[in-house]
Amino acid sequence: MTASIGPVKADPYPWPYDGTVPVSRTALICVDWQTDFCGKGGYVDSMGYDIELTRAGLPATARLLEHVRDLGMLVIHTREGHDPDLSDLPPNKRWRSARIGAEIGSDGPCGRILVKGEPGWEIVPEVAPVAGEVIVDKPGKGAFYATNLDLVLRTHGITHLILTGITTDVCVHTTMREANDRGYECLILSDCTGATDPSNHTAALHMVTMQGGVFGCVATSDDVIAATEP
Amino acid sequence: MPTVDAKPAPFTFDTDSTVLLVIDMQRDFLLPGGFGESLGNDVSQLSRTIEPLSVLMAAWRAQNLPIIHTREGHEPDLSDCPPSKLARGGIGEQGSFGRILIRGEYGHDIVDELQPLPGEPVIDKPGKGAFYATDLADILDKFGTKKLIVTGVTTEVCVHTTVREANDRGYDCLVLADCVGSYFPEFQRVGLEMIAAQGGIFGWVADSPAVIAALQEQK
Repeated sequence: MTASIGPVKADPYPWPYDGTVPVSRTALICVDWQTDFCGKGGYVDSMGYDIELTRAGLPATARLLEHVRDLGMLVIHTREGHDPDLSDLPPNKRWRSARIGAEIGSDGPCGRILVKGEPGWEIVPEVAPVAGEVIVDKPGKGAFYATNLDLVLRTHGITHLILTGITTDVCVHTTMREANDRGYECLILSDCTGATDPSNHTAALHMVTMQGGVFGCVATSDDVIAATEP
Repeated sequence: MPTVDAKPAPFTFDTDSTVLLVIDMQRDFLLPGGFGESLGNDVSQLSRTIEPLSVLMAAWRAQNLPIIHTREGHEPDLSDCPPSKLARGGIGEQGSFGRILIRGEYGHDIVDELQPLPGEPVIDKPGKGAFYATDLADILDKFGTKKLIVTGVTTEVCVHTTVREANDRGYDCLVLADCVGSYFPEFQRVGLEMIAAQGGIFGWVADSPAVIAALQEQK
């Protein structure tokens, strides 16, 4: 028997659209669970936001990771960050981060903000990658632009994506939109995501479900776990 | 250089390197009887953008500045429509204005008031974002574009996806609140808020009269 997933109880339709698919065609995407976004002294903390909001999805994501690893599902982690010489940092992105008091590349409590190799850029221990899992480093909000993610997914024969990570309305949504345009069937998990503003989290999830699922579907990690067969 | 009063900060642009982008102002989305309305949406939420947008386009054209239009749609044989999108229904089916979101059909084209002029590029896109699987990036490069003034529909779907793509590619984006529309007032509000949040995480937000005033001041 090959492990399978679906149909998952989801909004606005039982996910995926094609009923039940082998786990081998599905990937779990963990977007930017980095100290800079959900750890003390990181970028989001430095901007003055409440990191309890961005940390809220960690326990459910850790539990889901354990479950899908047992099933043999492909797990992909992404990290937002820039080269130490900032050669891949668009000037407007740098300017805006400086304007809000946390300039990308400057020194913070967790090392240089959003710079590759720094402590703040690392994924937090609760959901850290294990050997054999793919890590995609991205310079933008979307995980497809200027990365090899699409190639990695196609090489593995992946057609379906389950998304977790932070923040819901920024990096997770941008990545989901990119994936949807590329024809991947996407599911975002409400309990495995989070935003710096709770109303943006809610609105971002709601947007997914409009027009018959314009970007895919919304479910919870329990719904996913309940819909998998080993 | 023209400077526009915008959120979260003033937006300054050079007319030599700024493009006006008009997203998906297609009959199927905007007209009564079209695809959008057939899904139960209130198209007046979108059609209110036509008037300010036509005034802005006239002011932009008066200074011979570039406009790029986009249209969402698919090949008649649907070979460029992902199965997951097709399964959600509508696309390729017969609607009041021809086959829904199919290139060459009446409903797929841009509304009369905002028709492109000869020489203005029209980007046909299969997705929500205008960069994926199109030559938009090449055209912007050719124009030497650094900044985009973004208009069109719908705010939280195609406008947002395109602005997110443009932002990751390093373009400064100014989104015009009165020239973008959503079927859902709540998404219009929160969609604009998200753009200007966190110091302008995706760009800037203003209204079209501020852009027109800035253009005229620098003449």
